[in-house]
Amino acid sequence: MIGNQVALIRRELWEHRAIYVTPVVIALIVSIMAITGQVVVSAFDQAVDIAILGATNLGEAERSAAISVLMTGVSGLLVLAMWVLTVFYSLDALYAERKDRSILLWRSLPCTDAETVVSKLLTALVVIPMVTFAVIAVTHLIVLALASIWLGFQGANVWHLIWRATPFGDNWTGTLVFLLALPLWLSPFIGWFLFVSAFTRRSPLLVAFLPIVILPMLEKSLIGTSLFFEALFVRTGKLPLFRGLSTKDVLSYDGTGLRFDGDVPSGLLSLLDLSKFFGSPSLWLGLIVCGLFTTAAIYIRRYRDDS
Amino acid sequence: MTSLVSARNVSKSFGAMRAVDDVSFEIEKGKIMGLIGPNGAGKTTLLKAVLGLTDCEGSLSVLGLDPFRQRKELMQNISFIADVAVLPRWMRVSQLIDFVESVHPRFSRARAEELLARTKIRPKAKIRELSKGMVTQLHLSIITAIDAKLLVLDEPTIGLDIIFRKEFYGNLLNDYFDKERTILITTHQVEEIENLLTDVMFINDGRIVLHASMDALPERYVELMTSGENAERARRLNPIFERDVFGKKVLTFEGIGRDQLLGLGELRTPGIADLFVAKVKGAAA
Repeated sequence: MIGNQVALIRRELWEHRAIYVTPVVIALIVSIMAITGQVVVSAFDQAVDIAILGATNLGEAERSAAISVLMTGVSGLLVLAMWVLTVFYSLDALYAERKDRSILLWRSLPCTDAETVVSKLLTALVVIPMVTFAVIAVTHLIVLALASIWLGFQGANVWHLIWRATPFGDNWTGTLVFLLALPLWLSPFIGWFLFVSAFTRRSPLLVAFLPIVILPMLEKSLIGTSLFFEALFVRTGKLPLFRGLSTKDVLSYDGTGLRFDGDVPSGLLSLLDLSKFFGSPSLWLGLIVCGLFTTAAIYIRRYRDDS
Repeated sequence: MTSLVSARNVSKSFGAMRAVDDVSFEIEKGKIMGLIGPNGAGKTTLLKAVLGLTDCEGSLSVLGLDPFRQRKELMQNISFIADVAVLPRWMRVSQLIDFVESVHPRFSRARAEELLARTKIRPKAKIRELSKGMVTQLHLSIITAIDAKLLVLDEPTIGLDIIFRKEFYGNLLNDYFDKERTILITTHQVEEIENLLTDVMFINDGRIVLHASMDALPERYVELMTSGENAERARRLNPIFERDVFGKKVLTFEGIGRDQLLGLGELRTPGIADLFVAKVKGAAA
């Protein structure tokens, strides 16, 4: 069972090379932006490039927070790419094998339909986030290394200004938790996409998104309510993973201007609240919806015979 | 003898159309069974039911298992090609071998590599780069490297040149087949496998019109080539089919002793293709 899962997931990585090509391409773009950004900024003002990461007047905690913000910005781009990738992957997962008729080969081997569909669900929920995380960590190292080289040329103490100040443990753990929590939160969509890719005969993208767009409009115009819209989009926007953050702790107005106080706990982990996440009924309801769609996808793959 | 495949009153309908209509048969261990039928006769549907790819009515048992409900266990002991040249185009040959090796307990990597070494297929090649014939060669090499109790081949040699077809059937008989194994095969090129088969089954309109061992055919069927008055006399013995060949009449008889036809013309055992036409067209007439 586990041996089959490993083989099936490896197959997904062979078939859907976009799972690692997409984040690597984004990472390359980010790295190039990091180089050009520093060159451009320092062309205007030689002092500024130091100020970005290595300003000597910053305290330890502020510098650490500033680096964490930079790292999180890099992660943000890759998280966005991950979600787009997950949508396209889930829509293709059970559609491509029917389109190229290779399903005949897969079904001639001793893997059940449930094992196969679950391997695709696990790829979307776990494998894509883990690959994205690996690329994010490497990109962080590249961007920090580039900044170090630049600061090194300016004669700054790179070890002190950057590497010692970087909260690797906090930032990476927090990023990983977020990367794994996000697909769980959005799992009803992933389940729906897998279900669509299992049944549709053409254009899974259109078939998946049309009802999501049209049903709320119909509901509004016919019944006058927006329950479906609320359940779908308002819910999605409220990922219950974050602790309430009060800007008063960090930013304050002292009569003359805004003051930034980075010495308050500002690590990523301190912002995350796992008990709130796992205690949220919405999460579990979403997982049940995902489970129902996945079961339906397994059923369709098993019973439909359109080869 | 043990029955490897046992079908009782098996039916499968698609809407109003009965693709397989109340079919019963047994296939015993150590046989090479040819399943012959025209397009749309229900061959592929019947094979799919045997392979657990589709549900059906009636009772069907393969290796003592319910193929649809115990498909995974069944797949560990049988190997099959449902349709040639449908291997995933994005895959590399080596990836396909890796994958089958990791999910199939009876697959021999060494055997597959040995078979592939005889071809021009390189392990690094992508399947999309292979010709149709090479894809079929690859597929056949993979599934004959599986130590299966039952091998099911649906039109295995479509798109292959005659040299490879001969080689394939030769290897199948010499290297692969033994008394522990059973092969179920369908093909349009009936003549090519005629000498290979131990048993034959004809299917038409979802029904089995003939199921016999090859050894039994000469006793049950005889073909008479004749003309004129002899043909008229022979017709009184109720041939199942009659056709014209070079101005002569060829009459096919079922269950008529050869002694009854002696002196009426030239006697011989019909080939499978001719017998098939006689059974299908004769029944329709």
